[in-house]
Amino acid sequence: MRRRLSLVLVALAAFLAVLGPMVRWYDYPRVVEVPANQYQTVVLQAKDATLIDYSTLTGVPHQTVTIVQTLKGDAAAAAAEKKRTGRDVVVWDGLSYVLGTDGKMISSIPEVYVFDAHTQEPVHCCGESVDGDPVTRTGIEYKFPFDTQPRDYQYYDPQTRTSAPILYQGTREYRGMKVYYFTQTIPWTRVVFPKTMPAGITGLTPASITALGYQRWYTTTREFWVDPVTGAPVNGEEQHHEELRFAKGSGKAPVTVFEGDVKIRPDYLDATFRQISSQRQLVLGMTTYLPWGAPVLGAVLLGLAFLFEARGRSRGDRKGKRGSVGDGDEDGGARQVPPPQRAPAAPLLGQAVGPLGLDQVDQSEAR
Amino acid sequence: MRALLAAAIGVAVALGVALVMVPLAHQGGPTSPKPLLTSAPAHP
Repeated sequence: MRRRLSLVLVALAAFLAVLGPMVRWYDYPRVVEVPANQYQTVVLQAKDATLIDYSTLTGVPHQTVTIVQTLKGDAAAAAAEKKRTGRDVVVWDGLSYVLGTDGKMISSIPEVYVFDAHTQEPVHCCGESVDGDPVTRTGIEYKFPFDTQPRDYQYYDPQTRTSAPILYQGTREYRGMKVYYFTQTIPWTRVVFPKTMPAGITGLTPASITALGYQRWYTTTREFWVDPVTGAPVNGEEQHHEELRFAKGSGKAPVTVFEGDVKIRPDYLDATFRQISSQRQLVLGMTTYLPWGAPVLGAVLLGLAFLFEARGRSRGDRKGKRGSVGDGDEDGGARQVPPPQRAPAAPLLGQAVGPLGLDQVDQSEAR
Repeated sequence: MRALLAAAIGVAVALGVALVMVPLAHQGGPTSPKPLLTSAPAHP
């Protein structure tokens, strides 16, 4: 019995010793990925912001400007690309929809963002675009790679349609989680007008406003607090500033299009943190808990197997000394020879030797 | 000899589990029917 247990322990030890590293170096790069069919929404708000009133072309204070950001995984497009190239990609159809205090639409910018599901590298296919214009992204957007490193990354800015470094600024503590803090500043840059302008203003189109001599300029400073395990931002903020400007030398003052400090709405912060915390445990299971824990447990089981085996052998030896042929098995084994039975006590004096007397003793010994 | 066989079985099962994990993890679903939002869901 002990020997069987030892063998089971050896098998388990080998299983764990191999499974741990396999999970880390074989499964992790293949299994851990952004799901192609994910649907997520984040609501951001800028309190006490300034928004342009296009009917008067002046900046107007707004109590709250809301940005609804939806990312919807196009699973069919991702599957088609996988079939074509064999690569796991994610195709995100995104929409940034901006609403004023009155709930009216200010701007609506769609995006198609395609990236490698495992590494977050941009992939150029499947209608990659910003506001309907084809683009070729470099760097990351929205999310950082799994196993984010404490270094600068290239981050894609959809307004300027260029990538710029997002700087690693150190480690921070966020709700008890160690996160990496990144910042990126886009300097004042001339950008195109959104194709969808606010409704209800007759004749307002990107072409008409450009024809009046207006230029759209933009600057922003974005901050991200990123869980390095999943690469998902647990929090983000953006100090966003847009202006309408005129050509140099016109003498006209710029008009604020939007100015505000954009933050994630608290309920979405909570939901995001809960989701990332649970996913983080799954990823840590594959990168840390199993690769380190399983071999250690395997070594313990192997030690136990040796212990049982050694005890089994020593018991076998003791039994062997008492008369059995030691085969290492505590329960004797096939070759065990039963110890000789002792002869019955000598008949008491005066008792007659019956039919089971010495004859029977001789027979049992002869067996 | 038996111990070697037991270890080999353990290794084989571990390799099998690791290999099977990859296709099992890749079972995705269809694109969500939910629309791209044009209004903010109410604050709970």
